[in-house]
Amino acid sequence: MEYGGKGFVVSGIVVAVLIVFPLTLGTEHTLNLFVMLFITIILAHGWNMLGGYGGQISLGNAAFFGVGLLSFHFLAWNAGLPVYIALPASGVSGVVLASFIGIPALRLKGIYFAIGTLALAEALRITYGNLFPATLYIPTVQITTYTLLSRYYMGLATAVFIQGAAYCIIKSKIGLAMKAIRDDDEAADTLGVNLFKYKFLALVFNSFCCGLAGGIYAYYQTSIYLTVPFSPQWTFEPLVAAAVGGAGTLLGPVIGSVFLIILTETFALYLGKGYLIIFGALFIFVVLFFPGGLVGTWPRVGMFLGFRRRATKD
Amino acid sequence: MAQIIAYGIITGAFYGLAAIGLSLVFGVMRHLNIAHGSLLMVGGFTAYWAFNLLHLDPFLSIPLVMAILFLLGAALYKGLFSHLDKLPEGQKIDNSMLVGFGLIWIMDNLATMLWTSDVRAITPSYTGKVWHVFPGVRLPLVGLAIVALAVLVIFSLHFLLTRTYFGKAVRATAQDREAANLMGINVERTYLMFFALSAALAGIAGVVSAVNYSVYPTVGFEWLLKAIIVLVLAGVGRIGRVFGAGLLLGLAEGISVYFVGPAYREVVGLVMFILVLLRRST
Amino acid sequence: MERTSMLELRQVDVHRRDVRILWSVSLRVEDGKIVALLGPNAAGKTTLLMTISGLIKPSKGTVFFEGNQIDRQPVHRIVELGVSMVPEGRRLFPEMSVFENLELGAFTPKARARKEQTAEEVFKVFPVLKERSAQMAGTLSGGEQQMLAIARALMSRPKLLLIDELSWGLSPKIIKDISETIVRINKTTGLTIVMVEQNVALSLEMADYAYILENGRIVGMGEAARLRESEQVKNAYLGLGDA
Repeated sequence: MEYGGKGFVVSGIVVAVLIVFPLTLGTEHTLNLFVMLFITIILAHGWNMLGGYGGQISLGNAAFFGVGLLSFHFLAWNAGLPVYIALPASGVSGVVLASFIGIPALRLKGIYFAIGTLALAEALRITYGNLFPATLYIPTVQITTYTLLSRYYMGLATAVFIQGAAYCIIKSKIGLAMKAIRDDDEAADTLGVNLFKYKFLALVFNSFCCGLAGGIYAYYQTSIYLTVPFSPQWTFEPLVAAAVGGAGTLLGPVIGSVFLIILTETFALYLGKGYLIIFGALFIFVVLFFPGGLVGTWPRVGMFLGFRRRATKD
Repeated sequence: MAQIIAYGIITGAFYGLAAIGLSLVFGVMRHLNIAHGSLLMVGGFTAYWAFNLLHLDPFLSIPLVMAILFLLGAALYKGLFSHLDKLPEGQKIDNSMLVGFGLIWIMDNLATMLWTSDVRAITPSYTGKVWHVFPGVRLPLVGLAIVALAVLVIFSLHFLLTRTYFGKAVRATAQDREAANLMGINVERTYLMFFALSAALAGIAGVVSAVNYSVYPTVGFEWLLKAIIVLVLAGVGRIGRVFGAGLLLGLAEGISVYFVGPAYREVVGLVMFILVLLRRST
Repeated sequence: MERTSMLELRQVDVHRRDVRILWSVSLRVEDGKIVALLGPNAAGKTTLLMTISGLIKPSKGTVFFEGNQIDRQPVHRIVELGVSMVPEGRRLFPEMSVFENLELGAFTPKARARKEQTAEEVFKVFPVLKERSAQMAGTLSGGEQQMLAIARALMSRPKLLLIDELSWGLSPKIIKDISETIVRINKTTGLTIVMVEQNVALSLEMADYAYILENGRIVGMGEAARLRESEQVKNAYLGLGDA
């Protein structure tokens, strides 16, 4: 989908609505939902940049999420730094971790990178569980002054920021290089594109997003059980959301996350965890038959219905 | 110490059983079926219900489990993985991994809905019976059975791959798919059978898990990680290497528990794994 | 009474990734003959052979083998019907022994039943293979590999043998030996052969009939003996005649 002038207007309207809505219609339940939605969107964008555009599937984003979460918790609650410093710092902490492992890791062939990151996340999960066998709590002074609204707006602002950042990166030279690598990395290599540099940049963006998301979660949740920071769900749900929405597209992560949250809500009433089965099936369907996800297939639907001439944007 | 080695061998035999199906399919067909763990879980539950409803000894229920998993594996291949066959290798591996991952969601959650997340285990009459070999070394009978099972599987697979036409067809297809086709080998069907076989092997490991450890819907993911570690340690190829790597992992874990304590048992494997990967990347 | 040829192609088009390789190719191969496909590099000769064997499916046109339409059949079915191919570059199974390669050649049920007998016959034709029976195929010399590839293709007891680039990478003496063996097999057993061969002089010596392919189209055909004398062939391929 092209992001021309019309796209900006639509996005602007959506954001405006999101800003205003909690002040009027927001129930506590919906606000909670939205915060999780924003977190998922940020995580999905992170995965998407590395996996969708960069072509390296990461199965260990929970590692960066957990590190961001812990950093925020420590910096904001223990060290007393203001939230607007702790949050970016949590993003940065994700990047720091990524820098350590990234350089050797990216030299691995795709699948070994995937399971290597998975191993990393699992190793962190187990080690953390062993070293800090306790639940993390928000300091009491924070609980008394807790406002869901501030969490909502922080989530919204960060999500919008990340969406914008993703847009700028993709539209820039970096995005062009990454698309070239994704389409044919040998050809790109021979043209002088430094494969490693761009994959590393994608990894940086990935880890930054995941760290940020962890930070927001630390700000949002009042108590965090020891299995949570590095739980696989932070890797896998955004992955599926991004893929179903459309890996390698700008709107895919958003649409997929929205879809995921809606499905979760709908099914939570009837089937509990059943939504995971539906989503799993949908995910497989997408991988096998519709690699473009919802966003990628929409143009074809549009063509089928007659209001679009070409199926793909070039 | 000898006791630790004994336990390490038993654990290693199990890890080999858990990994062999995954490794074979990856080596021959270039599909990384990470739902292998979930198939293991189904095998474990099948044995569990066979034990509780039919009073079938778990080791005797292995043929039944294999049959069921064989059919399930064939269905999964026909319905899902076969679509990936035409892709170039890199994409094939990546996409099969993703499909496997979606399958984990479906299968694990389906199992949770059907059987709850309660932890189950099979405790036949001989659980806990031990053979005192010499002072300081107690070999649990179940453990001996597991090692015997592993040996049986190794020899059976070796026989299958070297002495039967099916096995030769599989090896030929792995070496040169088009040439195999030109021999009159139905490559599609060979792949189907082979994939189903690997599911049956996962089932065997599932039975072992149910008897020696436990089964619950997400147990597959735990063992999957072990299987992947073994896969990477062993490299692609021989059956012997897979079991050798399994033994290595089992022993390493056992020895580390002795020195560092049980809490970090999992980490040992992961660290070895990361080290092997690092060496690979340079 | 009209006699159906052993192999017939009718207006076959073949595309590879939207590029058309073969343009409306039609040809016939009669029972018991050796037919050669000649033409410059990249004319589509290998593609044509692969289309007959079923590895490539035509986008238009039909392929008939013994009167049966085979262009929609899967490769292994076509092999079962009696078509066997010696592919370009031999494509042996390198990590299997000579004997195992031969065994795999006799994979089809019909061939498998007569495996021992066929192996005996094959060893008589290529005695060196019997000597090296347990050796890994990947360690054989070029000539031995070619012999193994042919022997393996013969293990399925085919009615039609397709050979792609027989002489590739082989010394003149070995080429002479092998080509004579092939012609002898054809004369004694009546095995129909279609061959693609860079060495035009060799092809025309071995074959009864030949087709000339250029840019995916048939541009000439005829009895081998006559083509040997033709000006067109001499100029284009044999480097003879007044240039």
